Amino acid sequence: MPEINVTPLGAGQDVGRSCILVSIGGKNIMLDCGMHMGYNDDRRFPDFSYITQNGRLTEFLDCVIISHFHLDHCGALPYMSEMVGYDGPIYMTHPTKAICPILLEDFRKITVDKKGETNFFTSQMIKDCMKKVVPLNLHQTVQVDDELEIKAYYAGHVLGAAMVQIKVGSESVVYTGDYNMTPDRHLGAAWIDKCRPDILISESTYATTIRDSKRCRERDFLKKVHESIERGGKVLIPVFALGRAQELCILLETFWERMNLKAPIYFSTGLTEKANHYYKLFITWTNQKIRKTFVQRNMFEFKHIKPFDRSYADNPGPMVVFATPGMLHAGQSLQIFKKWAGNEKNMVIMPGYCVQGTIGHKILNGQRKLEMEGRATLEVKLQVEYMSFSAHADAKGIMQLIRMAEPRNMLLVHGEGAKMTFLKGKIEQEFSIDCYMPANGETATVSTNPSVPVDISLNLLKREMALGGPLPDPKKPRTMHGTLIMKENSLKLVSSEQALKELGLNEHQLRFTCRVQLQDPHSDSDTLHRIYTHLKSVLKGYTIQHLPDGTVMVESIVIKVSSSADDANTKVLLLSWSYQDEDLGSFLSTLLKKGLPSGLC
Amino acid sequence: MDRGECVSLLPRVCEVLRDSGRSLPDDTSLEKLLDWFSGLTEAGGSLLEAHPCLLEFISTVVNKTSSDPDVISFALKLSGLIAATEDGFETLQERSVLDLTFNQRHWQEAGLWEDPCIRIGWIQGVRSMLQHSKALGFFVQADFIVPLLQLQTDSSLFVAAAANQTLAHVLLFFQPALSAGCNGTVKSQGSDTRTREHPGVTTAETDHDYSAVLVAISEYLKGSLVRGEENTRLHQSRQILKLLALLLARAAPPLRDKLLRTVADPLEELVTAGCSRLMPPLMDIVLAANSSSSVPDQRVTRLLSSMLNTNKPADRLRAAAAFLHSGHRDTVHTVRAVRILLLPLDIITGQTQLGADTSEEHRFSMVEQLKSKTTCVSMVCVCLTNTPQITLMPPDLLPCPLVVIVSAVLSLLRICCGDSSSGGCAEVFRNVIGSGKVQKCALEVLACLSSSPGVKDELTEVVTVLIQYLNDPDSDPTVIHKSYQALVKWMSVCEDLSSVTDLLRRDLSEVVRKRVCDMRWEVRDSTVEFLGKLAAVPKSVEETRDGTWPGSCSSAPLLREALQDPESYVRASAVAALAQTLARGWQQGAALTQEQTDIVSRLLEILSQDTEGFARRAVLQYFIAWFSSRASHTSPPSSSTTSSSSSSSSSSSSSSLLVNSVSSILSLGSADLDWEVKVHTLELAELLLDEALSGHRGYRKGPETPPALLHPYAVVPDRTSTLRMQGAESDSAGALSDLVERGVVSALLSGLVDCDRPVGLKACQLLITLRDTICPPPLETLDATPATATVARVSCELPACGWGREIRKILGANKCDKAKEADVAGETREEGKGEGNDGVSVCEMLRSLGLDARLDVLSQSSDHVHNSPLSLLQDILTASAAHTRQDMQPGQEVIVDCY
Repeated sequence: MPEINVTPLGAGQDVGRSCILVSIGGKNIMLDCGMHMGYNDDRRFPDFSYITQNGRLTEFLDCVIISHFHLDHCGALPYMSEMVGYDGPIYMTHPTKAICPILLEDFRKITVDKKGETNFFTSQMIKDCMKKVVPLNLHQTVQVDDELEIKAYYAGHVLGAAMVQIKVGSESVVYTGDYNMTPDRHLGAAWIDKCRPDILISESTYATTIRDSKRCRERDFLKKVHESIERGGKVLIPVFALGRAQELCILLETFWERMNLKAPIYFSTGLTEKANHYYKLFITWTNQKIRKTFVQRNMFEFKHIKPFDRSYADNPGPMVVFATPGMLHAGQSLQIFKKWAGNEKNMVIMPGYCVQGTIGHKILNGQRKLEMEGRATLEVKLQVEYMSFSAHADAKGIMQLIRMAEPRNMLLVHGEGAKMTFLKGKIEQEFSIDCYMPANGETATVSTNPSVPVDISLNLLKREMALGGPLPDPKKPRTMHGTLIMKENSLKLVSSEQALKELGLNEHQLRFTCRVQLQDPHSDSDTLHRIYTHLKSVLKGYTIQHLPDGTVMVESIVIKVSSSADDANTKVLLLSWSYQDEDLGSFLSTLLKKGLPSGLC
Repeated sequence: MDRGECVSLLPRVCEVLRDSGRSLPDDTSLEKLLDWFSGLTEAGGSLLEAHPCLLEFISTVVNKTSSDPDVISFALKLSGLIAATEDGFETLQERSVLDLTFNQRHWQEAGLWEDPCIRIGWIQGVRSMLQHSKALGFFVQADFIVPLLQLQTDSSLFVAAAANQTLAHVLLFFQPALSAGCNGTVKSQGSDTRTREHPGVTTAETDHDYSAVLVAISEYLKGSLVRGEENTRLHQSRQILKLLALLLARAAPPLRDKLLRTVADPLEELVTAGCSRLMPPLMDIVLAANSSSSVPDQRVTRLLSSMLNTNKPADRLRAAAAFLHSGHRDTVHTVRAVRILLLPLDIITGQTQLGADTSEEHRFSMVEQLKSKTTCVSMVCVCLTNTPQITLMPPDLLPCPLVVIVSAVLSLLRICCGDSSSGGCAEVFRNVIGSGKVQKCALEVLACLSSSPGVKDELTEVVTVLIQYLNDPDSDPTVIHKSYQALVKWMSVCEDLSSVTDLLRRDLSEVVRKRVCDMRWEVRDSTVEFLGKLAAVPKSVEETRDGTWPGSCSSAPLLREALQDPESYVRASAVAALAQTLARGWQQGAALTQEQTDIVSRLLEILSQDTEGFARRAVLQYFIAWFSSRASHTSPPSSSTTSSSSSSSSSSSSSSLLVNSVSSILSLGSADLDWEVKVHTLELAELLLDEALSGHRGYRKGPETPPALLHPYAVVPDRTSTLRMQGAESDSAGALSDLVERGVVSALLSGLVDCDRPVGLKACQLLITLRDTICPPPLETLDATPATATVARVSCELPACGWGREIRKILGANKCDKAKEADVAGETREEGKGEGNDGVSVCEMLRSLGLDARLDVLSQSSDHVHNSPLSLLQDILTASAAHTRQDMQPGQEVIVDCY
């Protein structure tokens, strides 16, 4: 039986770096090539030596597919392509291809800032890597080679995020990457065909969570920002360059407009223009509302949000600042944090997850005294808030996607093991399908139904159409009769005549015979006539003939009468029929065994 | 200090870890803790002496099977680390911890063995422990070899690989280091083992234990290599082959010989069985065995011969490729491997002169295989990617001159484009038509072959085919990129390009003009990069004289056009290519042209307006290159009037344009939002400093870091001491004024307070250099001469906001500190000097900024603090406290998601 193997090198029962190997129909595909920001050495990248050694990566892999621009999904790509030496095709959507280098550059900056960092990719490597990327359009089937095809679907989550269907022959796998089943302020909800893949590989970040309404979270966010501003405080929102930041900007912009607030909102390092550029360029990837209103007003052209200059941090009075990076581990956000940390009127809102070691992580866990460079201690008096705006499908959303795609098997990645176990139970119970959750390094194997392609003869098709049947439709399978022949290692469905002709065979007729005894005190010819009359009255609509050779024929069934040698009143009826009339033949034999009605003439 | 704090925090951390209910900061914490412990062990310290709480921790965790599996796995690894020293091992034994910790049945009964992290922990613990003979004795006594061999074929890739590593370690680490000719690494490891042995343990005991392990592993290898259930056999065989390769690569002769004797027959059997999927690991074994021995082993040679004679063409080809890749040469197998490798090329191109495999049977089977498209593409790529190995062969081992291979590769490239005139077997060559994969491989080989002896005759053909590829509308961007690379390579190595001059002038120029406007940015970028590289190709003056030569000044208009490209990568490449194209003119001190003026104004426009950092960085690098090349051919000015005199005296040369632009570049660059633009701006400022100060006594160029040793932006902890100026220099004031006037001082001060650490660090280093070279010591401590007084009077203006305000703040803070010190000493101090919006004395400012202390802070990266063990321990404690906090609202849990 053919098999599909799925081996996570990352994201198997964890949310570290996504890197999943899929072997399907003899093809090997890598899904995402992410990086773990929690490590500072090579452990941040997937260990490609488990795939193959001696630089045979290009030989082994047929393609790499990147689901979206987050670094835990694409951060190891330049390392793999420019340093390990993978030279095959890389696929991602147009927006992902455009935005990926910005995030990679951002990360490179932080990395080279660190002591002793060597063996890291350069700007040139990022560019060279991006030049190898083949962009994907939504719903467009891309032929990787003669056998392997891929198709991207909208995933929500961040601009350009895609789910991907991978197909080899009749076998298929869908990989969701990160996705969101509810639309937000700037992106739509994920959607996929009822494509019935053999395996649906789904993220499961919120496997056990039914997330509260986003409206509540938004209200809470605005309330907190507003309160802080009202009491004259400053609000710092550390963000990554592109993604959630834009959603929060729209939120604040609308709120400021509605409440007629005057406190300035700043966005650091020229990212407003950059974001604007990309959202304009990829407007079709945003949600319906933004697309509709775009002609009248570009939602990303903010009236209240201005570019930030580092000197503004010292300005008196309230303000809101969006600054990078998102985990408060370097750069502008950290510098502003240091300035504002000592004032309890101020507030920092962390809108996402922070890895261990970062200031973001420390303050989220309640550390109030932070050791900085030069052993200086920073006392954190400002208010610290965590409000997750990450857009992942929750348990309900994952179930919704399963209903949409109707997979034959499920496989969970990108989540915590314990939570996955819970969701796995729910999925198996509700959908009666197998659900796998391999740990990193473990392989989940799924057997698939072998697909046997069969050619059909044109004559047979024409005959079928002539009989008034509908035209063939792959969505409405129906039965078609014919003869299956194997010729030159291929299968063909043809008419029986054509089969005989093509195979050079003679036709043989197979007939069933049966003897029935009945008591009838008439001559043989009279009995035959009586049978003819009886059948004529019983079998309406059938062709019944009394032939001159002393037989009665009902369709292909031949009936002959002879008297028994011992008793002339005992008649022996010989019935013979072909296999086409098998049902009618057995019916007649049963009927005649009951005898002939007395009133017959 | 840190260490003491860590010692005091660790018991609480252990308590947190023991309590499985409390959460850890993230999934890396335990591994980072182990990193710290490993570091301490490697430094020679005793973990248990430094942290006695660890013993209690391990003991509790392994006894409490309800602990978190990750914590148990951590405890297993930690036990191994502690038991790696004999003292640690004995302590753990005395407390009966080891027996339970590594008792596999204990974990199985607790239902935890199913969890791969427990199996990994167990293996890595055992592996760490096996550093001395007592541990080996324990290993043998407990019969750990049995579970270890089972784990060797574990369903988890990670577990299986770890088990293999441990099996290899035990055999290699403890192998007797007696024989001469033993592999160096292994020998020293063996010697180490002996010195580590406990005096009470005899060598005989170790030998006995080692023999027991060797027998067990050998029997397993022999028995399991070709046996087992049908569906598990492949996995098992592959794992055993991997183990064998690990062993053979590093085994000393006696062990290698024993292993080979044990597995020779089963290996032969595997080769004969012809399982394609085992061919790569089988070849790894041959290579490993060959690499560790100077004299080829007969059994290995026989195995190799069998592999090169296997019936399956794909396997034969891969075996040949792997063999050639190893670099191992012998007269029989090398020639055979080359012939096998060239066969697909021969069949497709019909190039019979290649001298490929002539066996009728092999040729037939290969043709049959090549008829399938997928197999054909894959096999041709294997053939091509390994062809460069052939070029490294001594000529007597080659079946044909290299020029024939070049010719065959050219034919293949033509076939890929649909030209069937030179094709061989029609049923085969149609499979490669339009295959980007084959095209890319072939172009790479072609580039590699450029430097081979005797191939120059093919230059015209090479250039023709490459131009054809560049011209082909169907060419993929990656194919075009590789075509350009190959072309540059051939043009660089061929001294005489006269045979292709016309082709280059006419056809290449035309195609480049077309490609620079391609729809795809990748193609435009490769084209622009190509033009830049071409400019660096050495060529005779005659060739470039008429200006139609691609890559010469004729490219400049195309590149100027590319400066307007919508894609920032292309704009950046265009700036870089322009610098390469104009470099020769700069070096020769060419006269100023309108074109250069236009380019400079366009570049300044990019620097001030471009939304993307790539292009702006390239602009800075352009000016750095220009300035450097100018500095290399002009002597540094020695007078104090550098700026004005150089700009007026050289007004006719291009360098005057440069000098006049510097202030704008520095001002724009230091106000940029991109950290790398700012670092490059400081690099330009460094060149200006260098020029201004190089005549001064005591000047030493800023902190030099050997580029090979450190990353360009890596932190330099030790500041290079610069010599203090011993007396006032007559032209110091002029040089300093000039630097202020050009905006160098402002750029440095602005960089000093930048939020990006690499910028701050670079600026700080340069300011210290400036201070130490040009500024006299404080007036109150030395007699002021007129010259020093003049220098001290040089001032600069600080803007009221932005970096100016930051600098003022530092100055104010430092003054306050000094005033406090002065108060304590009961001294009075002159106040108010250099404050306000008026000019501030540069020298006084440089002395008052606390640059040395600042450099110390900047030299420590933020990571130095955040990734310290203390930070990790604190994070574990606070994460646990946060988890148990009562005030945590529902839904407030920080969920690990994405970034």
